[in-house]
Amino acid sequence: MSAEKLLQGDTDRGTRPANRIPLARLLRRTALHLVLATVSLAMVLPFLWMIITSLKTDPDLASYPPNLLPQVWDWDNYSEALEYAPFGTYFKNSLLISFGHTAFNLVLASTAGYALARVPFRGRTLVFMVVLATMMIPTYTKIVPQYLIAKGIPFFGGNDYLGQGGHGWLDSWWGLIVPGALTPFAIFLFRQFYLSLPRELEEAARIDGMGEFGIYARVMTPLVKPAIATVGLLTFESSWNNFLWPLIITSDTNLRVIQVGLSTFQQADQNAWAYLMAGTTLATIPMVVLFLFTQRYFVQGFARSGIK
Amino acid sequence: MLAPSVIHLVWWIGIPVAATFVLAFTDYDILAGTVEFNGLDNFREIFSDETWNASIWHTVVFTFFTVPVAMAIAVVLAVLLNVKMRAAVWYRTAVFMPHVTATVAIALVWMWMFEPRLGVVNTMLGWVGIDGPTWLADPDWALTAVIIVSIWKGIGIKMLIYLAALQAMPEDVYEAARIDGASQIQQFFAITLPLLKPATFFVLVVSIIDSFQAFDQLYVLTPDGGPGNSTTVMTYEIYRTAFKEFNMGAACAQSVVLFAFLLVLMLISRRLTGKEEDVR
Repeated sequence: MSAEKLLQGDTDRGTRPANRIPLARLLRRTALHLVLATVSLAMVLPFLWMIITSLKTDPDLASYPPNLLPQVWDWDNYSEALEYAPFGTYFKNSLLISFGHTAFNLVLASTAGYALARVPFRGRTLVFMVVLATMMIPTYTKIVPQYLIAKGIPFFGGNDYLGQGGHGWLDSWWGLIVPGALTPFAIFLFRQFYLSLPRELEEAARIDGMGEFGIYARVMTPLVKPAIATVGLLTFESSWNNFLWPLIITSDTNLRVIQVGLSTFQQADQNAWAYLMAGTTLATIPMVVLFLFTQRYFVQGFARSGIK
Repeated sequence: MLAPSVIHLVWWIGIPVAATFVLAFTDYDILAGTVEFNGLDNFREIFSDETWNASIWHTVVFTFFTVPVAMAIAVVLAVLLNVKMRAAVWYRTAVFMPHVTATVAIALVWMWMFEPRLGVVNTMLGWVGIDGPTWLADPDWALTAVIIVSIWKGIGIKMLIYLAALQAMPEDVYEAARIDGASQIQQFFAITLPLLKPATFFVLVVSIIDSFQAFDQLYVLTPDGGPGNSTTVMTYEIYRTAFKEFNMGAACAQSVVLFAFLLVLMLISRRLTGKEEDVR
């Protein structure tokens, strides 16, 4: 399926031939816009309500029936929320982990994708098949042993050489970053992109005496920038939104990511809605903005994978 | 160049998957670190647990409502958005927005929207004279509320896959249909839907996997399995067994059951939506 075509957003399929009466066409158009506008509004309503709530004062929040717009636009909620709960720390942790995952994934997946696409070796097809298979493994078929492995890493967190006696990578940056640092989908995507590059480039570089790594780093990789952007953005987004893994391997408040921090904040403080909504705004708006400016790469990536 | 990635995949995916299937037949003591085979004991144990059995049912109900409903809305939206107009990009962005934002954060927003007295959902129902339920606190409505959130969240990606498939479709078939005088509704059912079969298979598979593995919104909206365990699903029970009760063997047995469900459903969807050659 062509992502490029999708990006243009429209083709002329579905438009009627010109022999229709203009009025009927106008009516259809209006109806179409009405339906789509209503649906779009329903989709963005929660985001609007989130921002509106984050700017309301406490008495305003408690008033019944609720006001649609804030009586006073209380921008101080944000600075107060940051003081009230360590959202700042959570935000920083999420940022660090997301950048870490993105960097690792780009390096690991591009080298692997390159090898699978351009370096002939025995068993290459088999390795590629295995990568494809790992893409389809459900999270819950591996999560429990992943936790046990993280807990049993030798010499970390008070563990002996057998991985016993301590907590290993639980509650550590290692545990937060390393297990999620590579996604099979990224390898797959890079492979497809490297595969599409012309052979001549490689041969020319070889005649010039370049080694395999040089060809990868200096000739081929600069040509797959769209793949870098797509993998980078998808990795960043899924890492930022990830919840289950940080939830199970951290209990230390200082290592909490924003998603886990928000959920524990809500459970501890059931009625601090304005602060909570300020926190969720901080957790969602960066992704919304990132998405708005880099839509083409997201769309391309999602249309290929369908999964996060 | 391949080695670091292969080691990572083997270490964090290969070994864990194999371990799940082995540990499911063992009694793993997490404190002592000892492993003892115990045959089918874990499976006997989990299936005698009422909550686990209920969670299977909830997962099936949850998937039954989220997947087809969201798919139907998504395919209609994709067809509507596949029309040449300037605003299409904006509509598409709005529909897709929930997919890129964190499930946890957005579930917290819905939690506030479902607040029985001050929430925007019941306020809007009040405008049309309906006295809304207490939603997340009501065992009869909690799962419905979670399903609503999940449909809302899932439409975007399904719409996007359908849209991509629609734009790769041959124009001449529609041309012929128009000359034969087929209405747009007829064209949708006679041409579009059949041609979308491979896309439908793809969407169906992806959605079922997603839906069976939904966790974040359930964890946030209805903590601890919801009122009277009315919204507990298989993923939540695996989480509870493994990371609250630390009964790793039983948790792996539950994971194996979840895996078996997905495998069977994949085979059924393949049968339903066509031959293998059709699959992209």
